[in-house]
Amino acid sequence: MSEEPRIGVFVCHCGLNIAGVIDVKELTEYARTIPNVVVAMDNRYTCADPGQEEIRKAIKEHKLNRVVVAACSPRLHEPTFRRTVAEAGLNPYVFEMANVREFSSWCHPSTPEEATEKAKDIVRMAVAKARLLQGLETIEVPVTNKTLILGGGIAGISAALDLAAMGFKVYLVERGESIGGHMAQLDKTFPTLDCSICIEGPKMVDVSRHPNIEIISYADILSVEGFVGNFKVKIRKNPRYIIAENCTGCGECRDVCPIEFPNEWDMNMGVRKAISVPFEQAVPLVYTINMDYCIECYKCVDACGARQAINFDQKPEEIELEVGTIITATGFDIYIPYDNSLYGYGRYNNVITALELERLILAAGPTGGKLVRASDGKKPHSVVIIQCVGSRDVNKYEYCSGFCCMYALKHSIQLKEKYGDDVEVYILYIDMRTHFKGYEEFYQRARDLGVNFIRGKVSHIIEDPETKNLIIRAEDMALGEPIELVAEFVVLSTAAIPSKGTEEMARILNVTRGADGFFMESHPKLKPIDTATDGIFLAGACQGPKDIPYSVSQGSGAASRAATILSQPTWKIEPIIAVVDPNKCRNTKAKCGICETRCPYGAIKAPEGQPAQVTTAMCHGCGTCVAECPADAITQMHFTDAQIFAQIRTALEKNPQDKILAFLCNWCSYAGADLAGTSRFEYPPTIRAIRVMCSGRVDRDFVLEAFRLGAGMVLVAACHLPYDCHYISGNVKMKARMEALVKIFEKLGLSPERFRVEYVSAAEGVKFAELIKEMTEQMEALGKEEIKAENEKLQPTLEKMLSKKQA
Amino acid sequence: MASKVIRNVTWDFLNEVIQDGSRVFPKEELERLRFCIQCGTCVGGCPSGRISALRIRKIFRETQLGLKETVLSDDNLWNCTTCYTCQERCPRGVHTTNTVRIIRNLAVKYGYIKNNHRRICEFFLTYGHAVPINDETRQVRKDLGLAEAPPTVHSHPESLAEVLKLAEETGFKKIVERTAK
Repeated sequence: MSEEPRIGVFVCHCGLNIAGVIDVKELTEYARTIPNVVVAMDNRYTCADPGQEEIRKAIKEHKLNRVVVAACSPRLHEPTFRRTVAEAGLNPYVFEMANVREFSSWCHPSTPEEATEKAKDIVRMAVAKARLLQGLETIEVPVTNKTLILGGGIAGISAALDLAAMGFKVYLVERGESIGGHMAQLDKTFPTLDCSICIEGPKMVDVSRHPNIEIISYADILSVEGFVGNFKVKIRKNPRYIIAENCTGCGECRDVCPIEFPNEWDMNMGVRKAISVPFEQAVPLVYTINMDYCIECYKCVDACGARQAINFDQKPEEIELEVGTIITATGFDIYIPYDNSLYGYGRYNNVITALELERLILAAGPTGGKLVRASDGKKPHSVVIIQCVGSRDVNKYEYCSGFCCMYALKHSIQLKEKYGDDVEVYILYIDMRTHFKGYEEFYQRARDLGVNFIRGKVSHIIEDPETKNLIIRAEDMALGEPIELVAEFVVLSTAAIPSKGTEEMARILNVTRGADGFFMESHPKLKPIDTATDGIFLAGACQGPKDIPYSVSQGSGAASRAATILSQPTWKIEPIIAVVDPNKCRNTKAKCGICETRCPYGAIKAPEGQPAQVTTAMCHGCGTCVAECPADAITQMHFTDAQIFAQIRTALEKNPQDKILAFLCNWCSYAGADLAGTSRFEYPPTIRAIRVMCSGRVDRDFVLEAFRLGAGMVLVAACHLPYDCHYISGNVKMKARMEALVKIFEKLGLSPERFRVEYVSAAEGVKFAELIKEMTEQMEALGKEEIKAENEKLQPTLEKMLSKKQA
Repeated sequence: MASKVIRNVTWDFLNEVIQDGSRVFPKEELERLRFCIQCGTCVGGCPSGRISALRIRKIFRETQLGLKETVLSDDNLWNCTTCYTCQERCPRGVHTTNTVRIIRNLAVKYGYIKNNHRRICEFFLTYGHAVPINDETRQVRKDLGLAEAPPTVHSHPESLAEVLKLAEETGFKKIVERTAK
């Protein structure tokens, strides 16, 4: 904006909350003296209707083009006043708030004069920023009201049915031959012991019949491009060598096929034909030829006859879809403990995994539901179930797999109900975790049926070479004695692990994974279904082990989250984003691309030889790339370098050596400072704070400039490491940047206590107050003269460092 | 057995074990002791525990509770053969065997030394060998065509002074003398 800034300052009494400490009249008088301020007035309650009306009137009367309200925290009323100025015909982004309540009157009640002086600084800083504010336009992108769901397990099915019922088109992509997921593999479900396929089967059929749902099975995702509302997805449909439309699922081809191979669906304990379906209830009911085994005898072709459903020349087919949202429901895998030599899986025939037991006790399974030992085909009379195989183990998977306690209870109950006293069942565990509705009762049911519970993790298993029985060594923790159990059969409750391909999928979707390898949610508490990429959501066990009720709930949750976007014709994006100046970007001449490596969202790309480009719809506006750019070619709207430098310079105009200049991130440390105010924790009025959206925005140059101007101390405060950052990793990037800066300061001879990086959460009001107290004490201990002397020594170097940057 | 009343659970002893042990082992390895969840994997696989009253898990529990005297005076502390089976298997990554070795050092430091151990220490100070040579071994060596005494302090008695110097410098001598009855 080239027009002369005409700024109005509106000082709020907030009853006595501000006026009780700060001399509001003096503050208003003072505001009138600041250049570009054309009007300043005070009001008892600026946020109330008369107060807002006063602002709207003043804007018209005085032709204001910038507005500053000196009142409470912008975290409270910034949205209110943005609306007020918009109602008066101004752009909502030409508004700035001066937080004189949380940051002054409330935290300095016993030093009213200093509080008033600080409030003047705060107002002057706000005006300095306001002079440079620009109107911003909210960005709108169109929305394709279709969704893609990756994975046809129970979570994906739930999400698909919900979205389809809301009237949205759903593409349900499944890697395997049939939808259904792990749930379709199970015999019964806890805690009610319903037959699993009996309750899931109808849902699978609903999916296949719903006019809004298109199942794309036996297919892989190749690439995903675009952003919220506008994703382009490439999919490869793998050849089944069957023409799906012609296949009636009659099975006559299978009956004549002479070739059998191990059926993965049965955990390779049973066989299936080279032309077959993995299980009878498969959806879609389309057969598949496994070319690794087929001998091309063409008996199936004859059996199929006039239906002509078999095509040996079928090729992979690539299709492209356009969708507005993506729900990832790619599920989990079960850990197969071949690498665990202590329990002998793979070496001892009578040691199996729980999922194998599931297939053995299932009536449609390879043994027709009979429990038999692989060593002699006999029914075992004693079964030991071992918990936490791979889970809660720092040598394998550190996390708790969550549902193993429940499925072990289910297995024990099933065995006791089926065989009664004919089988002894033991469960050896570390902790029994049965914390959902009806689960503890289920545990009691197992105890009532006579299952033996022994608290103690099994140390190792030895096989009796003659009987093939198993000798289990553990400690009975309740007795405090080592024990030895002899069992005819051992079942290992193995960990749930990220499904195969999760890593690649994370790359394709640009979704982050946690330390455990599962997909990571945007916020562990408040955005448990969102990912860091807008428009991509998580459902089910791909985010971490989950049982069926939890997966179904999350599937519905993800459908609801997706619908918030799909139901809108366009999607609004806050304009506080990063913008690249292509003329300044170095990447055109040299291979730079630093911004690309620092962006937590993959929103900025620096193709070789071209200036970096921001995908607006993917940018979350943390400003990390802005701070990292070595050529200062990137600007964060509403938090520009010029605006922040203006705030720094204004804050340090008078007596800089007595001041702590602080950069506080909006979500944690600024909120923590607000809390110190609302809690009335008193601390010395030495701090002058600048709000940034993320600590990742804090440019090295800001700190250098503060010291160049003679600041007593500089504080950068962020969300706690490693996961609290609201922009995934802005705090981590800031830490690395500031650590390098500390080394420079060390060499320059800056007293180390004068530059602090701290982590303050929104709940740590006490910590914030204590921190400022401590820093003020340190500053006083150093003494004005010492600080001034140090600054004089530093100044030439700092001038040089900053001028080099600007050249 | 009278019930053990635990008052004022303190981390002092556990901290002391980690602090003292970090002179020998990396501190972060010993810190793992804080992560013990009492699952019993160690006891379940302990070869010594099958024939003795050694319960590694219990030692760690008592250490976590700060029961210093109980731990240090427990005879079972000395039944560990340091075979490292439990350390290999611990799902919490506790450096169990190394921790037992540190606790033993502390036991000796506070005067809980077994008579036989002290005698071995005294042998070392007297002969420069924890197990000095006997007539039988001398004969075996002779029969094998070796020198009757090995090329150690046994052949060079003047070197005993060096051994003693080492024992003094390292504080070993002081510990042994202090625990002498």
